[in-house]
Amino acid sequence: MDRRSFIRNTVPVAVTMPALLNGFSFTAQGAESDLGKLFQQTLTDTDHVFVLVQLGGGNDGLNMVIPLDIYGNYYNARTNVAIPQSQVLRLDGTDKSGLHPAMTAMQNLFNDGKMNIVQSVGYDNPSFSHFRDTDIWNSGDNRRSRRERVKTGWMGRYLESEYPGYPDAFPNSEMPDPLAIQISNFPTLTVQGSIYSMGLSITNPEKIYTFANPFSDYPLNSPPANKELRFLRVVSEKTKIYSDIIRNAYQRAATLANYPNNNSLADQLKIVARLIKGGLKTRVYTVSMGGFDTHKRQVNASDTTTGFHANLLKNLSQAVSAFQDDLELMGLDDRVMGMTYSEFGRRIKSNASLGTDHGAAAPLLLFGKHAKKGILGTSPDIPADIQVVNNIPFQYDFRSVYASVLEQWFCVKQPALNTILLQNYQSLPLITGPCGVADDPDNNNNNSDNLLLKFWPNPYTVNATMQFSTTGGHTMIQQINSLGQVVKVLANGEYAAGTYNIDVYNDGLPSGAYFIRLQNKSLQKVLSVVKVN
Amino acid sequence: MDRREFFRRAGKKYAGTKKKAAQQRFFAGLNPYSGPWTINEVTHLLKRTMFGARKADVDHFLAMSPSAAVDELLNNITVPSPPVRDYGLLEDDGIWYDDLGVAIGQTWINDPNIASAVEIRGQINSRRKDSLKKWWAGLIINQQRSIQEKMVLFWHHHFSVQESEIDNVQFLYRHHALLRSNVLGNFKTLVREVTVDPAMLVHLNGYLNTRLAPDENYARELQELFAIGKGNDSQYTENDVIAAARVLTGWRINSIPLESYLDVSAHDTGSKTFSAFYNNTTIAGSTDPYQELDALMDMIFTTTEAARFICRKLYKWFVYYDISDTTETDVIIPMAEVLRSNNFEVKPALEVLFKSDHFFELTNQACYIKNPYDMIVGTLREFNVAYPPYTDYINGYPLFYSIYQQASDMQQQLFQPPDVSGWPSYYQEPMHYELWVNSNSLPRRADFTDALVNDAVIDTRAFANYSSNPADPNQLIDDVTALLLRYPLSANSKTYVKTHFLTNNTTDDTIWTNAWNTNNNTVINTSLREMFKFLMNLPEYHLC
Repeated sequence: MDRRSFIRNTVPVAVTMPALLNGFSFTAQGAESDLGKLFQQTLTDTDHVFVLVQLGGGNDGLNMVIPLDIYGNYYNARTNVAIPQSQVLRLDGTDKSGLHPAMTAMQNLFNDGKMNIVQSVGYDNPSFSHFRDTDIWNSGDNRRSRRERVKTGWMGRYLESEYPGYPDAFPNSEMPDPLAIQISNFPTLTVQGSIYSMGLSITNPEKIYTFANPFSDYPLNSPPANKELRFLRVVSEKTKIYSDIIRNAYQRAATLANYPNNNSLADQLKIVARLIKGGLKTRVYTVSMGGFDTHKRQVNASDTTTGFHANLLKNLSQAVSAFQDDLELMGLDDRVMGMTYSEFGRRIKSNASLGTDHGAAAPLLLFGKHAKKGILGTSPDIPADIQVVNNIPFQYDFRSVYASVLEQWFCVKQPALNTILLQNYQSLPLITGPCGVADDPDNNNNNSDNLLLKFWPNPYTVNATMQFSTTGGHTMIQQINSLGQVVKVLANGEYAAGTYNIDVYNDGLPSGAYFIRLQNKSLQKVLSVVKVN
Repeated sequence: MDRREFFRRAGKKYAGTKKKAAQQRFFAGLNPYSGPWTINEVTHLLKRTMFGARKADVDHFLAMSPSAAVDELLNNITVPSPPVRDYGLLEDDGIWYDDLGVAIGQTWINDPNIASAVEIRGQINSRRKDSLKKWWAGLIINQQRSIQEKMVLFWHHHFSVQESEIDNVQFLYRHHALLRSNVLGNFKTLVREVTVDPAMLVHLNGYLNTRLAPDENYARELQELFAIGKGNDSQYTENDVIAAARVLTGWRINSIPLESYLDVSAHDTGSKTFSAFYNNTTIAGSTDPYQELDALMDMIFTTTEAARFICRKLYKWFVYYDISDTTETDVIIPMAEVLRSNNFEVKPALEVLFKSDHFFELTNQACYIKNPYDMIVGTLREFNVAYPPYTDYINGYPLFYSIYQQASDMQQQLFQPPDVSGWPSYYQEPMHYELWVNSNSLPRRADFTDALVNDAVIDTRAFANYSSNPADPNQLIDDVTALLLRYPLSANSKTYVKTHFLTNNTTDDTIWTNAWNTNNNTVINTSLREMFKFLMNLPEYHLC
């Protein structure tokens, strides 16, 4: 949709068209601010839909995407829960990683080019708290100071930028449907806007709400009471309108694929597919499954490929796969993509209860026809002499994934992208399509491999030299401790292409294991170093 | 006086005083209330100071003078017995453990949770947290004729300690007990106690505040959120935040026994100088734990802004969120003067507010959007749903937990306000109360009231019997809506309700009268259930 049609459809024509055609000042119409806002509007013309799949509790990424290239260190770190190498599901085009044996459905998705794996997604200074980290992922803000943190969700900010003025002027002809639908009991932070939630939460799409009193008069002679009653009536009316819209869309479409039984995620995704097929223009859906907090008995002792986590991954894999089948049968697969996320990954070293404790970065899965095939990034660095405190450092900031989704799926451009995500995050090659990237699976990883990152001596004591190369442009080098905290930023700025040396002297850091993370636009490389006294 | 006369009187008196009240709007100030005392005024007072207005309570207070009614609500303060263990053995890794610290039915509030196996202490702590939530919800549903529970919730909103930040349940209980013990006590004392309360020291990092690296988190919120606010006349500076942080350096927590103390080695003993807003006060350094703390409190509570700030917050909690210049001048400032002249005792200030013309003015009625506890507990109480006493951990706690859960689903979770400034409905411009209601929460509320009727949790027929003449459909609707709805239905709406639900879409009133008089259970029960569901789905029902 172009700007003109947007204006035509939202503002009474008689009021605005003469002003627009003649180029008069809008103040002449007495509506400067509203029209001004409309001209700043950049409602993007897209019929794309994004589905967020939240895995509550902290998914053990290391047992979902198993590192085959460093299998010895993996096995050594978590012998009692490790998946036997021979049973790891192989993925086309890579011998570095494979999937948990319960995920055959997703193995097929990947091999069919409908799934993408992003390795070690996380952020600096993880909190290891379910509550806090869930907020961080949903808001996209991990600032420590509660005062500074935003109270909005990353999708909420996106939707608010696309549809300012929600919910007052909605639904309207440009957006006749809910902006976002959450299949849950109540709205989450993900879709929270600056005042309102930009989403509706539903559990039963066929529910009928009848709030209607045909007589909406105001018999009380009290402005405050009348103001509040008017507000309540408007919300009531909107609720009814939206619930009718949802119900009608749901009833217009039928499920075409076979979804697994006793699988709550499948039940939710089944609703999502029907609502999309039923014609909703809703851009964002959220679904969730819980139970990933596998501190104990994550696996069965007799067979580590079975147990709680195996069941969770099987449900996830089968539900997403059935959803993808449904979309294809409905002819919607060009329009829909989804992504899994979890508040954190789990600790590298397993505990004695056949489980794993709270950790840091973990792989993330993107699915859909337009997922760029392959695995982005390398297997996480697992030390041979694993310690309880060791965590997986992030290769990719989760907001880089968000930025890429917004940019490559919803065609959001700068500076809106920076505003939505609160700062500039690198773009990653994740999605193909109209505003996406070329479908060249290994290009990015190969380019990353070609980057130079050296550090000597290693281990080091007081003096060391770091050498790195950059393809030019923004280049950042962080030093991360074993807890995943960024303890030093060794470089951060615009560099010309080339190779550089940085001297490290008396850096004041305590002895221990560290990671050096080099980020150059969409490329990264992580190197482990050790400091000794 | 019989029932019929009582309800008729209510309608007449109310209509007769409407104009006068409206005229007085801008001049009423805090003059003592001298208007009529009918079901209208009594339900207004009760729905604002308690959760819902039960018929029995309405009758009780109607028989008193307005002043005596307010006195009873403000003076009926009780100290509840503490929460108790309501859980049995707990499983970890296939092994069952007992909580060896306390027996079932005994309180855990003084047990540091170190007697049991290490593996199970985390579970014990979270089970105790659950019992604390159940206990509080139990106190709310079992509230006496008192402002107490609504006021405890106010202080929780005000200080807004979040369980997500406080792991140890003993800290949470102790904080809650502190609010409860000061519920209508001295505001200055409460702020002083909260400042060094272990839960608050954790919540806003006070325990990390040290002379070499002062942490300003609490010092800032103390001024911005707890005592001074950001009103027009609030002029404290960034330096005041830093100076207050220095005053509060060194406070630390001991877990067993649970207490806070001043670690002198971490305390900044230099003198701290404040801005002109605080009369350039200098607080001399001291190693006495309380000397600087008390000096800080004296300094803060000497400002006129401190008293006005808390009065505005109380006003938004009990009356309405929009404080006009006139209200500021005629209500907030005089109320703050009462607070100051009573050395920050809260009760006298609330007393003048609730006994004032202003509180009962027509424009302050029916404009308050119910919070989830008003909605849930208010509905349950108004329909006289029986609950076990709050001490009944066997039968009561599970029911109380469902109240807690319902309210959490409607976005009001005890021990977890959304952030450090409490529930946005009481401070967030411009929407305030309206933030409770949206396309998500409204269906949630409707689901709740629908389920109460569908599952026969509430007895609609018993409620109909509150009417002076339930056989008369007009009288029935007048009487039940006078109790349920603060915003009156128009004559048209009442006719709609009658024809739609009671007289089978005709204008023949005898259809209902005959059904009632012949005790036609099928017709009566079906009609009433549908009518009450409709009434509680009305936008008007969300106002109180």
